[in-house]
Amino acid sequence: MTVELTAELTALAQYVASGLVVGSIYGLIGVGFTTVYNVTGIVNFSQGDFASLGALGAIGLIAAGVPLPVALAIAVLCVGLLGVLIERVAIRPVGNDVLRGIIITIGVGVALQGIAVLVWGTDAQPLRAFSGEKPVNMGGVTVPPQAFWVVGTAAVLMMLLWLFFTRTYVGKAFRACAVNAYAAGLMGIPTRAMRSFSFFVAGLTGAIAGVIVAPIALMQYDSGIFLGIKGFVACIIGGFGNPVGAALGGLLLGLLEALSSGYLSSGYKNAIAFVVLLAFLFVRPSGLLGELEAVKR
Amino acid sequence: MKRIAVLVAVLGAVYFSGNGYLMNLCVVTALFTLPALGLSLLMGYTGQISLGHAAFVGLGAYGSAILCKSLGLNPWLAIPLATATATLAAWAIGWLVFRLRGHHLAMATLAFGIIIHVATVELKGLTGGQDGLSGIPALSFFGYAMNSDAAIFPFAWLVCILGIVLAGNLVHSPAGYAMRAVAESEAVAASIGIAPDRLKRRIMALSGLYAGLGGALYAHYLGYISPGPFDVGFSVRLLLMVALGGFAGIWSVLFGVLFVVMTSELLKPFGNYDVVLYGVLLVVVMVWCPRGLLDGLAMLWRGGMRMWRGAQAAR
Repeated sequence: MTVELTAELTALAQYVASGLVVGSIYGLIGVGFTTVYNVTGIVNFSQGDFASLGALGAIGLIAAGVPLPVALAIAVLCVGLLGVLIERVAIRPVGNDVLRGIIITIGVGVALQGIAVLVWGTDAQPLRAFSGEKPVNMGGVTVPPQAFWVVGTAAVLMMLLWLFFTRTYVGKAFRACAVNAYAAGLMGIPTRAMRSFSFFVAGLTGAIAGVIVAPIALMQYDSGIFLGIKGFVACIIGGFGNPVGAALGGLLLGLLEALSSGYLSSGYKNAIAFVVLLAFLFVRPSGLLGELEAVKR
Repeated sequence: MKRIAVLVAVLGAVYFSGNGYLMNLCVVTALFTLPALGLSLLMGYTGQISLGHAAFVGLGAYGSAILCKSLGLNPWLAIPLATATATLAAWAIGWLVFRLRGHHLAMATLAFGIIIHVATVELKGLTGGQDGLSGIPALSFFGYAMNSDAAIFPFAWLVCILGIVLAGNLVHSPAGYAMRAVAESEAVAASIGIAPDRLKRRIMALSGLYAGLGGALYAHYLGYISPGPFDVGFSVRLLLMVALGGFAGIWSVLFGVLFVVMTSELLKPFGNYDVVLYGVLLVVVMVWCPRGLLDGLAMLWRGGMRMWRGAQAAR
């Protein structure tokens, strides 16, 4: 009896561990959504493709002989700059038009996936784990060492972003744009630069999420679609426009997915995330923590 | 009426030329035009985004195929039944999703599309999973099986033209003006006695009917279906077809469908460039010609002519 119980508990702990790892990724992508949405009022449907592009870019650079840390840094920075370019070319001309914004960012996502197919093909690509493949055993629960990188990086990055938004001058200007872009402009805050900057941050967080998860989950050209949608679901669970909510929502969604694929069926894992999404949209569209009052449009 | 005559003349020329390749393209165009028309009614005229329209096409296709294969129904009976199923599903989904708008509506419809796609992959007993369903009986007309491009060509276009005429009548009827009023402002529409939510649900149901019918015909035309063609990518392609036509416009939808079918054919030998082109086109059309590609090109042409005349006058 006790042996069975211990086995059950170990299995549960295993699911929880893998759920937290995946959840940190969803959370990071969700934070990327939040950053752009708060400043521009646009939901960037290509957010997930930033992740897959970052990972594929790093894989390509490593294949070209660039050392791992340098390759990661270059790939992440390039995706950040790509975000700035996308904002300037495709998003800025339409302003705050919701319907056109949605369709344009979908178009950007499709174009990015197409380019990824042309460059890397349709096969899933592996990225070398940052510190070996030997699984770590913690009281019966085995986790790959990369899991620590994922959770650690996500935690540090979220902390840094939080410090940036709440403790620095630029971060304050950024939040001012989120509260009221027009008034912020009147106060001399360069709102256009802030829009570009929000896409830069979104590109960076997306690409970082991509490169840290790539050694665990293989990346291919269209991995971004699901990552992006799950990140969005994380935002909805936590409350759209709320960065803390996005992080929390990501963890919850990761846990829910891991548990349901453990105890129900792994095939329906993806559908379950969307059932959760629909349930939240209909029962509590403002999420657990509520949308930031100031950014309601 | 004149346009229909021109269309029929062109189609007749294609049919009697006997060119199998052109005929295949035309049949595919007819079958894609039906769901695109439905999406145009919903997005272009009523102003409601749907990113899950492939699901209704899939429901029609799988519904009809399963009714034929499991219950042994005649395709002539299975197609209306499957179309009715898609219509009902769309109407029911309308109750849920039209409580939302904007980004939330987009994501909810996208989620619905993905759930249906996952279901077609996972319900292996019913749908055959990734392997799909094969051996779907073709429509037959007094013993004349419509299982080739040439055989189904007249019927597919008959249905498609009927769909075009009915949609054209709808948008010029009082209901059509009500749809546009809802698209402009729901508050104003409600103030003049239009019930926006009820109207949106009805248009969603009609949109599902068009999509389901297109899907059901597609299943019996190919004789084989798998989940692949009914994924999110197809929803996005439908979106592109409608966007290229400028969203609102029954005839410009036909242009959008034709454009997408042609470019995907022309780019086939070069590999995967069509996807990049679709993405870029979607962005370009939305940024520079929100009233459709033709309108954008016409404006470019007029602008070019004006500049040219200006240069002439200056000289």
